[in-house]
Amino acid sequence: MPENFKAYLKNSWGLTQEEVDRLKNFIKTKPVRKDEYLLRQGEICKMTFFVEQGLLRFYALNENGKSDILQFAPENWLVSDRGSVYFNEPSHYFIDAVENSTVILIDTQFIDRISEISPSFRKYNERLLHNHIRHLNKRVSLLLGASAKTRYLDFVKLHPDVLLRVPQWMVASYLGITPESLSRVRRDLASKNFGVK
Amino acid sequence: MSTKTIELIAAPKAPHFVGDGFRVHNFIPSGFRLDMERMSPFILLDYNSKFHFPPSEKPKGVGVHPHRGFETVTIAYKGKVQHHDSSGGGGIIEEGGVQWMTAASGVLHKEYHEAEFSKKGGDFQMVQLWINLPAKDKMSTPKYQGFANNSINKYQLEENQGTIEVIAGQYKDVTGSASTFTPLHLLNAKINKGGKADFDFPAHYNTALLVIEGEVKVNDTDTVNLDHFLLFENKGETFQIEATEDAVILVLSGEPINEPIAAQGPFVMNTREELMQAMNDYNMGKFGYLED
Repeated sequence: MPENFKAYLKNSWGLTQEEVDRLKNFIKTKPVRKDEYLLRQGEICKMTFFVEQGLLRFYALNENGKSDILQFAPENWLVSDRGSVYFNEPSHYFIDAVENSTVILIDTQFIDRISEISPSFRKYNERLLHNHIRHLNKRVSLLLGASAKTRYLDFVKLHPDVLLRVPQWMVASYLGITPESLSRVRRDLASKNFGVK
Repeated sequence: MSTKTIELIAAPKAPHFVGDGFRVHNFIPSGFRLDMERMSPFILLDYNSKFHFPPSEKPKGVGVHPHRGFETVTIAYKGKVQHHDSSGGGGIIEEGGVQWMTAASGVLHKEYHEAEFSKKGGDFQMVQLWINLPAKDKMSTPKYQGFANNSINKYQLEENQGTIEVIAGQYKDVTGSASTFTPLHLLNAKINKGGKADFDFPAHYNTALLVIEGEVKVNDTDTVNLDHFLLFENKGETFQIEATEDAVILVLSGEPINEPIAAQGPFVMNTREELMQAMNDYNMGKFGYLED
């Protein structure tokens, strides 16, 4: 059984070991190759993906044809176009793999099953949804009003290892700044902390 | 004294690219039984088997990345590599040369095909090894040891059978060129067809070899083909390599560092907390800055 997902079921969805055991046969894993898509614009998103191992990104194409990254999903993150799933409407977004990854497929069937098995699931899941909304509000607020440096510092706190795993332009895209601006922020920090001129 | 027994002979796995300039087969730590503990202090071995790179105006390679907690050893068999780091250091590893970089507390660097080599294109063949550092030295000051081929100490085998380049450690009465933090031997055995060389390392040292050129027979019994890797069991001390064709063999043997390993990406530390610290230091610019 995928170890990260097992821990997630217990810690974030409040399942007991016995409930996890009962759910075992309903867990569907899927290997995803780097650059492979799990969702494309125009498709209806049918599920949420839990990242057991690897790294996914969730992005939109902007008016200039460039990708705006809304979310990185490394290990133990969920990623989905929730709007497309819930309202059964075509997605504006893409989900693809930045690294070779393994994901767990959380579809309606799985949600039905877990709800049957675990009485606490819905309560925990609601908490996760609100946590996600809180996270998104903070993202919007930072994008509207924070300096590049503040956005960067918030990002590395949330995702300490992602800067090491993706090209810098992806981080710049996530932060809503140019790659040059990201370089400037990193150079300024190095200047302060390493003495680089 | 007894003969070392062979644990496994591994064929190279499918190659993957590191950046766009290094097409490598990984032998350590992924796959086989060669995790970081099994081959300690050798915790990674990426082998770019001989591969022809066509001419490229833009040198191929690996962009800016950090390292902490270990040493990288780059051995250039074919082609040339250029490198730069955040402390302003840089240089070229020439064909036949070795660069021994002690990343220790932290280095931010990039590695590319040397500009002229890149423009002309050509055969490229390299080994990159990561050698772990004991906890007490993980945060020591970074340093480089660079050796052109003519500055690597050598032992001449009798009757023109070949040459043993002693990169580090010891072979017979020749001491290695590079200094190391823990006891280890790193040798390039260049043996002519029909030639033989004997080796003697303690049983508890983790010992292996990689056939870079030609084909060899080990202990008179097992044939090891080109680009194959042989791991010895931790039993016995001596072994013999006989070249059935003109051969170049990288021989590695080292005393294991029996400390916990916490590794992620370019950092190899002892604890999860030290790894988090390394990531945080990298994110906060404490490795310096280097333009891609």
